[in-house]
Amino acid sequence: MAKSMSENLVIEVEGVNRIFPVPGGEFQALKDINVKIPKGNLAILKGRSGSGKTTLMNIIGTLDQPTSGTVKIDGQPVGRMSDRKRENLRRRDMGFVFQAVSLIPTLNAFQNVEFSMRLAGIRAGRERDRRVEECLKLVGLGNRLKHMPAEMSGGEQQRVAIARAIAHRPKIILADEPTAELDSAMGAQVTMLFQEMTRKEGITILMTTHDVGLMDAGDMVIELEAGQQVQGV
Amino acid sequence: MFRLMLQKLRHKKWMNCCLLLGSILLIATMVSFPLYQRAAYDRMLLDEFRNYVAEEGTWPTRNSFLFASKFDADGATIVRAEKMVDGLCADLGVTLRENIRYYLLTPKEVRSSMNRDAVAGLSLRLGMRTSLPDHAEIVNGEMYSDSGLTEDGSIEVVVSEAALVNMNILVGETLIFNNLTDAEGKPIRIYVKGVYDMAERNDPYWQETPEKMVDICLMNETLFQEMFTGKNAINYSITCQYHSLFEYEDIKADQVKHLEERTDYLTEEGPYRSLVKVPEYRQILDTYDKKENRIQATLLILQVPVLILLGAFLFMLSGQMYEMERNEISVIKSRGSSGGQIFRLYLFQSLFLTCVGGALGIPLGAVFSVVLGSARNFLEFDGSRALEIRYTPEAWAYAAAGMAATLLIMTIPAIRHSRVTIVKLKQQKALKKKSWWEKAFLDFILLGLSLYGYYSFHKNGGDLGGNVLRGESLDPLLYLSSSLFVLGMGLLFLRLQPLIVQLIYMIGRRFWKPASYVSFMENAKNGRKQQFIMLFLILTVSLGMYHATVARTILQNASDNVEYLDGADVVLKEYWKPEIRDGTLTGKYIEPDFSKYASIDGAASYTRVLLQDEVNLDNGDKSYTPVVVMGIHTREFGGLTWLPGKLSGKHYYEYLNELAVDAKGVLVSRNFHDIKGYDIGDTITFTNHKSESMTGKILDFFDYWPGYSKTVSGLNPDGTSYTDENFLIVTHFDVLYNQWKYKKPYEVWIDLKEGYDSQYMYDWIQQNDLRVVKYNNRLDDVEAAIEDPLLQGTNGVLTMGFLVTILLCAVGYLIYWIMSIRSREMIFGVLRACGMHKGELFHMLMNEQIFSGVFSVFAGIGIGKLTSDMFVPMLQQAYAASNQALPMQLITKTSDLIRLYGVIAAVMVVCLLVLILLIFKLNVTKALKLGEE
Repeated sequence: MAKSMSENLVIEVEGVNRIFPVPGGEFQALKDINVKIPKGNLAILKGRSGSGKTTLMNIIGTLDQPTSGTVKIDGQPVGRMSDRKRENLRRRDMGFVFQAVSLIPTLNAFQNVEFSMRLAGIRAGRERDRRVEECLKLVGLGNRLKHMPAEMSGGEQQRVAIARAIAHRPKIILADEPTAELDSAMGAQVTMLFQEMTRKEGITILMTTHDVGLMDAGDMVIELEAGQQVQGV
Repeated sequence: MFRLMLQKLRHKKWMNCCLLLGSILLIATMVSFPLYQRAAYDRMLLDEFRNYVAEEGTWPTRNSFLFASKFDADGATIVRAEKMVDGLCADLGVTLRENIRYYLLTPKEVRSSMNRDAVAGLSLRLGMRTSLPDHAEIVNGEMYSDSGLTEDGSIEVVVSEAALVNMNILVGETLIFNNLTDAEGKPIRIYVKGVYDMAERNDPYWQETPEKMVDICLMNETLFQEMFTGKNAINYSITCQYHSLFEYEDIKADQVKHLEERTDYLTEEGPYRSLVKVPEYRQILDTYDKKENRIQATLLILQVPVLILLGAFLFMLSGQMYEMERNEISVIKSRGSSGGQIFRLYLFQSLFLTCVGGALGIPLGAVFSVVLGSARNFLEFDGSRALEIRYTPEAWAYAAAGMAATLLIMTIPAIRHSRVTIVKLKQQKALKKKSWWEKAFLDFILLGLSLYGYYSFHKNGGDLGGNVLRGESLDPLLYLSSSLFVLGMGLLFLRLQPLIVQLIYMIGRRFWKPASYVSFMENAKNGRKQQFIMLFLILTVSLGMYHATVARTILQNASDNVEYLDGADVVLKEYWKPEIRDGTLTGKYIEPDFSKYASIDGAASYTRVLLQDEVNLDNGDKSYTPVVVMGIHTREFGGLTWLPGKLSGKHYYEYLNELAVDAKGVLVSRNFHDIKGYDIGDTITFTNHKSESMTGKILDFFDYWPGYSKTVSGLNPDGTSYTDENFLIVTHFDVLYNQWKYKKPYEVWIDLKEGYDSQYMYDWIQQNDLRVVKYNNRLDDVEAAIEDPLLQGTNGVLTMGFLVTILLCAVGYLIYWIMSIRSREMIFGVLRACGMHKGELFHMLMNEQIFSGVFSVFAGIGIGKLTSDMFVPMLQQAYAASNQALPMQLITKTSDLIRLYGVIAAVMVVCLLVLILLIFKLNVTKALKLGEE
């Protein structure tokens, strides 16, 4: 199923549990999750809502910490990193695409994409501008560079978000329901875009979805059910 | 509906708390003004009366009538007069102190029952005075009895000591009137029962002191009325005096108008107008009226901007709240609720807030007015001066107006929003547009108007002083101009602010870190949303600056001026007895003992100053100009006087040195050169009131001299103001003293040591039994100048205005920020997810605060400074006393500014702390989830 198991693993999740305190007790959102995603793979994380997808994504994205277990990104255990290090990891090596529109409303399409490069510390210059345009062309918005988020449709905004997530050439892209707001054709287009990127740029992508039609597109599928891993162990 | 409203109130509790705070403050401020004014007027009125009593020693609130009842059939004249006097106080609306009737029969000859020769041919007046036993003490014998008659039917009388001595009558003697008979035709016999004197020296009952009642025998009042008035009045000629005294302490400011009207009727139109003198209090009330007009107009002008700011704040808040609820409203609307229903919901909510605001604001207004009354300077209070607060109908009217305004301001935004459906809302949100005022160039229009005002006042600035003298208020346009200027400048800054931020962005374009970059972009795109709160901040700070300067300048100049005009700590002039030789006045005076001044322990030094008026300068063409000559001991004089700061090019002591070395020299005021054309080295001749002349060589011209005012201003009888030049010649005391035989008494100028107050001097004067004709005490005079209700009120209103606006500013600013951060929580989450550090987020928000808050504060400071430089000199002129002698100096005291900046800094720090708290509470995953809904 996976392209190559022997290649170096970019995402390694070992025995991760996540317990949230809730009024009157605890809620175990994740139970003993083990995930290994090699470089250049498009992994699909599926499951019903409430199955713990977003929690796992947040933990892999270093936005949240597991109650127990370890997460390694590119071989580095993130649990021992300082906040600052984790933030630097996020801004350089990760790209996020969120379910809802997540563009900065005061920046236009170009600036939004450029912003992730700024954060990643890529210097201003022709090279950077070229890369921004390239990414926007890749998502089919090469002619709407100057448009503000408010002037674009939900699908267009989501594509800008994808362009932003890839612009600084991260090692990993974490996409939480990126197609939820899109029609199926557009959803398929985005998925294709992701496939292309894994191939062209060697990016590892973890994407959640509950769109059954997109499952086949992935190199591997991880399925969660009530916090437990039922597929992709 | 009501439940829905309560639910809404609870839902947005912070917002509603702020709205409530705004409405409380607005109503309290509104109420405090009439409360304060009324209380200040009451105090001012009382001060006027008390000053009068202290200076004149007589009871000011008194109406006196004098007429004669001559053989009047059935005594109707007296009955009518008594009735009128008894009802007078009720008519005037004042509290009666005492009505005094004083009736005297015409003088008639008496003889002694003992046939004493000394009494033969003596004329006495029999009379009565109401309630004499209450006000007199018997120094010899006894008071007349209740029946008023002795056992043998003689009338018991008492006489003054003066009468006893003057008329040479004896206590216990019975006197018989030769030509005065009772109703039955029997000669009237009086029995001298006792000798009386005033029980208390200052009792206003004694309008005629016993010393002057030399031929008067007073008898029992009831008996007098029985025997000589009513049906018996036809037989007698009676001089009737009535004194109607009322309490001045009880007169409140709002009674003044009625009192004036009734008094004028009494003295000008009423049936007794020919019998009554214009009472002394009428003049006092006139003076008071003039002051009141001036204060009223001034305070009103000062209050309006504060009220406008308050209203604007409420408007902003309620607008902001509707903005937050827009989505909800639009949804309700789209589901079919009518605009009217939505409007009603908001109306109820506003009504509720207004009523609660009123309930709390009206009592708070009283607290405010007490604070107002205790303001000594800008942001400086003196708790010892409590005002007596009364709720007048006027105050209730203000409260009602304040509540109506609150209700209106809070409801207006609802009218707009109740029409918006969700479709329109989305359309509106997509629009980015310039503010209406930017398109209308309101900033330039306001600046144009204010500068027009500025220049027109600049041109005829001299007239302002005249207005003040005539008791008119300062021109509202003058204050308005400065307010418009501040507003115009504030708006201009708002227009420029995005450009400034853009410029900073461009300059550092290559270096800005992501956080700064986002904040620049935020300001460029969303900066306009903050314009209102920024304007609010600018106005608060700049008006605060401006007002601090106004208050300090006016106060400082007023007290400096008094210090200067007084010349020394204490200036004292004794009464000198005129010299009499062979029964005629010689025109000279007898100098009192000067050595006693050495006994003033508190005096650091003292010197004699020979100030001579009624001196004429010989113009050389047989015309004369009145001048004043001052003879001084240069060394001593220089030791205890000074001139503030750098007034002339030359130091004050240089003048004194010039004079010291030339016995024939004089120093003269600059107008000798400017108007009379004299030069240094010229000789002038001047002559005193006894035609003794003296010459002097002009050594120098001075602009200022201790106690010297270049001009003398006053009012002509027709009400116009005049200004005369004041010519002063300063010469040596000894030269002047020896040269003129006829000179007026000198003054003693005293320099007091630290810690010796006016009570000390007062005690010294008492101990030495000095008869003083002129007495200035610098400390007292400065205190009086500072306590002027106009200055007090101005400082109070300015301080309160500043505190209220800065409080609102802080609240408004915080609300804006909290809401702004709340609405952007998701974006912050995204930024954090993208790897932005907390510090960077903080940096970003700091930048935004700097662009809006800090920029506004600095703009406010700059605008405040500029406005002060431009407008304070003119405003000060309007406040200046009629005797302003010193050049006006713009005063900004560091301590005032520190207080001002301290308040602002505290506000900013609180805002910052709240920001930090918000950022640290920000949960990334939660924030992102927020975005998922």
